[in-house]
Formats: sequence, structure tokens, C-alpha cells
Amino acid sequence: MNEGNNMANILTTRRRLLKGAGLGAAVLAAPAIVRAAPAPVNFAFFVSTSPFMIAKGGGWVEEAAGAKVNWIEVGSGAEINTGMAAGSMDLGFGIGSSPTAAGISQAIGYEVVAMMDNIGPAEEMTVRKSANIKTPADFKGRNVAVPFGSTSHFRLLGFLKTNNLSQRDVNVLDLRGDAMMAAWTRGDIDAGYIWSPVKSKMLAAGGEVYKTYDTLEAAGYVIADLIIARTAYSTANPTAVAGILAAYGKALDAYTKSPDDASVIVGKQAGVSAEMAKADMAEYDFVPLKTQLASAWLGAPGVQGKFAGVLKGTADFLVEQKSIRAAPDVAAFAKAINTSYLAKAVG
Amino acid sequence: MRPWLATALTACALIALWLWLTLSGVVSDLFLPPPGELWDALVDLVQNGYKSRSLWEHVADSLIRVIVGFGAGAAVGTLLGLAMGYFRTIDALAAPFVEFLRPLPQLAYLVLLIIWLGIGETSKITLLFLAALPVSAVAARDGVRNVSEARIRVAQSLGASEWQIFVHVVFPSALAEIFTGARLAVGIVYGTLIASEIIAGTSGIGWMILDAGRFLRSDYVFVGILIIGFMGIALDRLLLAVETRLVHWAGR
Repeated sequence: MNEGNNMANILTTRRRLLKGAGLGAAVLAAPAIVRAAPAPVNFAFFVSTSPFMIAKGGGWVEEAAGAKVNWIEVGSGAEINTGMAAGSMDLGFGIGSSPTAAGISQAIGYEVVAMMDNIGPAEEMTVRKSANIKTPADFKGRNVAVPFGSTSHFRLLGFLKTNNLSQRDVNVLDLRGDAMMAAWTRGDIDAGYIWSPVKSKMLAAGGEVYKTYDTLEAAGYVIADLIIARTAYSTANPTAVAGILAAYGKALDAYTKSPDDASVIVGKQAGVSAEMAKADMAEYDFVPLKTQLASAWLGAPGVQGKFAGVLKGTADFLVEQKSIRAAPDVAAFAKAINTSYLAKAVG
Repeated sequence: MRPWLATALTACALIALWLWLTLSGVVSDLFLPPPGELWDALVDLVQNGYKSRSLWEHVADSLIRVIVGFGAGAAVGTLLGLAMGYFRTIDALAAPFVEFLRPLPQLAYLVLLIIWLGIGETSKITLLFLAALPVSAVAARDGVRNVSEARIRVAQSLGASEWQIFVHVVFPSALAEIFTGARLAVGIVYGTLIASEIIAGTSGIGWMILDAGRFLRSDYVFVGILIIGFMGIALDRLLLAVETRLVHWAGR
């Protein structure tokens, strides 16, 4: 917004200078401001198999925002945090709950406006069949890979902690998706905690699922992908934010009604086959927008949902891990969840 | 103005600007931590380490990588360069590869090294080795080529053998350039260190900076930068000290 205004000012001053005294400056300044298009929305997103890709591909986001959209592809939630802190991103789709908890704790200045999905079993431990890993103790001395700072990392550390394993007993390695796949193929790692498509590739290449998510969720290690907005942007453009959420809701409905048709579109957008897109999406729990307003999830305006507690728990864990300096109290997280746009979008 | 005074002035001005920016609250501590926080972060790192490893382990891991990678790269590179400078055929054989490798950004072939050599220390050290090798080779070759013809003629006329000429005339004359190459190489290796620690890291100062940056822990990032910076100066000074002892005649 600020940038847009500056642009308009520069344009008017320029014209004033060029055209000189012949025309009244006031007459000229007015149409220039009216004609100035709304500032483009800086939209951070992941290329992933999510129904959101239907809304993106269909141009629904531009329509709802009423402005040009700068699509910024990111590879991690940390990049969104950095971009938001720098003020160069307005919206972030699909940021994980652990980077979000970190961002809110550091008062970067953004709010959670909705949830994209509850991750559940979609991020899970894959172990090499031949390594014969059956109990937590079998992980001792093994190389386990995970992208650091991700929701999977949070889960893995939770798994170690709940089983009294230290990060010295288990060799935890920081590997991104493609590097993890390479290390798996070479036999450098015996286990990896990650999401698909790398997870399904590892399973296909001699891996098996080592189930951790159910006990971890019960122990409070819930992870989700969220939709966030820079507070300065959302307060200035509430209608646009609600409209974009409604567009996402429409895409979600399209997926629920016909997963096969949706998978074709999503697969094309994400660059994977329709079958793969369908299989990947089936692992996620895409909570309908209306359900998100229940107190079991984000809550409604004036009603605190459970999710504030999840974010607080995540932030406390990150403090313990020394990833962030300090975490505020649960009220700060409740305040950072703003469901008013979501209520407008479904209403 | 005396040089040391100018240095002291810029340092003081920078510190004053830092104090003013952070203490007046103009800049959020997310972007630039105030001195107190930086000190706390340093004390915390010294006492408790970073992510289940002590600060010294991180420093030692990085230093070992740099020393082994640089040492091996500079040694092999220098030998290769000496041979290239002395024998035209070897130069013709090796030059295309050395010249191709030298300007190549290390990040470009990082992924290949991981696929070939795995995620352990081997790929990290090989990356540093490959960064040091071409610079040292080119420096040694140029050193040999710049040995004055007259010196070799004199040695020849005194009846020195080919080997004696190489050991007693060519090598000492090239030593000054070899050291210049080594100091250049250590700088490049140092710059490559962070890239090498991106991969499957859990240790090293470079990895610490990257990992802290992911959570915008600018206090740890700044402490890491200060440590890595002073380590770099120390390494360079060490090489310089060795050089002045060994090649005390250089430049005279």
C-alpha cells in the first residue's frame, strides 16, 4: 500500500514538472491518483499438491484481490518469515505451524487468517526395511534426515523427546527434499521424516512407514499448514483477504465434490501426475473453512480456539530447542489468530 | 592522519551508530540485536553451546574442514602447478581442467558431490579441496614461469643438474607467488565453507549461522559472523607469518 501511494506521488510530481504551469496542478493530481491501479499483492506460496492450486490456476485469487498478484514461490516457512519481516510479502499460503509459532513469538507482524490443512499422517517417518527398525531404541546410532525448521523437524524432535532419546543418540541430519532422496538412494540414511512426494518415493525405494503421528498428536505435537497475512495488509484490505479465503473455499469444495477432476488440475499445476496428486492429497486432512471456525480448531471471532494452545506449545518447544529466544503467553497467540476474515468468507 | 587512528575512528563510528540504532529503538532487535543481547548470546553459546554441541565443537569442526580441505588442495595444487610450469606437456594436459574449475562457482557442483560422495565429511572436504586446488596450481605455475632466465643459466653454467636447478633455483624463486596463491586459496576455501555446511549439517560455524538465520535469530547470526570473521583473519595472519619466515627475501 505504501509503495503504491509513493508511486502515485512520484507520478503526479513528474507530470507537474513536465507539464509546468500551463495546467492547474490540482486538476492533474486528481486523475492520476484515481487511475493508479491498486498495489499488487505479494503472495507467497509453495508448489504443492493442494486444492489451493485450483484457485491459483483459475485466476480466482487475482479476481478476489481485485489487483495484480505477484506470485512468490518459496521452499520453506522460514523464507516466508523472512519475507514478512522485510515487508515484502502480504500473504503466505501453506506455512507450517512451527515457523508460524516462531514468527508470532518474534512479533514479525502477521496474523493467522485460516488453516490450509491438518497434516496428520501426511508427514511421517520412513525407515529402511533392511535396517530393521521396530522400536524407538532401534534408532540409536542411526542417521535420520529431516528438513530443519520444518513441521516434520518439530515432530521428529517430539518423537525423540517423548522416547527419551537425545540428539546425540540419534544422528539427526539437516536435509532438504531432493538431497534427502539422494542420500536415501545412496544408503547414507536409514530414516527420514518428511512429506510427499519425497516420502512416497522413499517408500517405493525400500522404505516402510514407522508410525509416530498418532501418539505424537495425542501428546500435543499437532502440526498444520496455515494461511497468514501481514497485519498491515489485512487491516487495510479486509475484503480482499476474505475474498481470497472464499476463493480457496470454492477450490476446496471442487476437490471434495470431485477429487479426480481436481487432481488433474492440481497435478498439472504442481508438475506431478494426476494419480500422484490424488494420492498425496488423500493423506492430508483439508479441514473445511466452516469447520475451522469451531473451537476445536481456530475458533470464531470472540471465541478462542484450541489452536492458540497448539501454537503456544510449539513455540515453547522451539524455545527449549533454542530456535527462538522467548515465547509470549497463550493470549498473544489467540490474538494472532484473526478469524474475522474467515467468518466473512463463509458467511 | 595516522593509519591506526583512521581504523580506530571508523570502528568507533560504526559501534556508535550500532548503539544509537538499537538503543533508541529505531531498529527492531529482530533486524539488529543491541549489544546487550549480543553479549548474552555469546555467553549463552560459550556456556551451553548450540543445538546439542558446544561452541568449540562447532568451531573445531569448521576449522578441521578448512585445514584439511585447504591443506590437501594447496599441496596437490602446488605440486601440479610446479609441474605445469616446468613441463610444457603437463601444462597442456592439465591447464584446460584447472582453468575450467577455477572460475566455477562451488555451489554449481555441490549437488553432484553429494550424489557421488554422500553426505558425510568426504563431500564437504572435497568441495573445499576443489576450491583450493586450481588457485594454488595457477599461482605455482606462474611462479615457475616468472623465474628469471638468467638465474637458471647461471646455475646451468655452474654445472647444476636439472633436479638441482629445480630444487635450489626454481622452487625457492616461485615460493613467494606460491604463498600469495595460498592466501588467496584460504580466502576462497573460507568462503566455500558455509556452502559445504549447508548439506546435512549438524555442526560447524557456517551451519550454525544458517540454522539460526532460519528462525531469524539475528543475535546468534551476528555472533557467528564475528567468530567466523576473526577465525578468517587469524588464518590469514598465520599464513602471512609463515610466509615472512620462509620467504623473507620476497619483494627485496
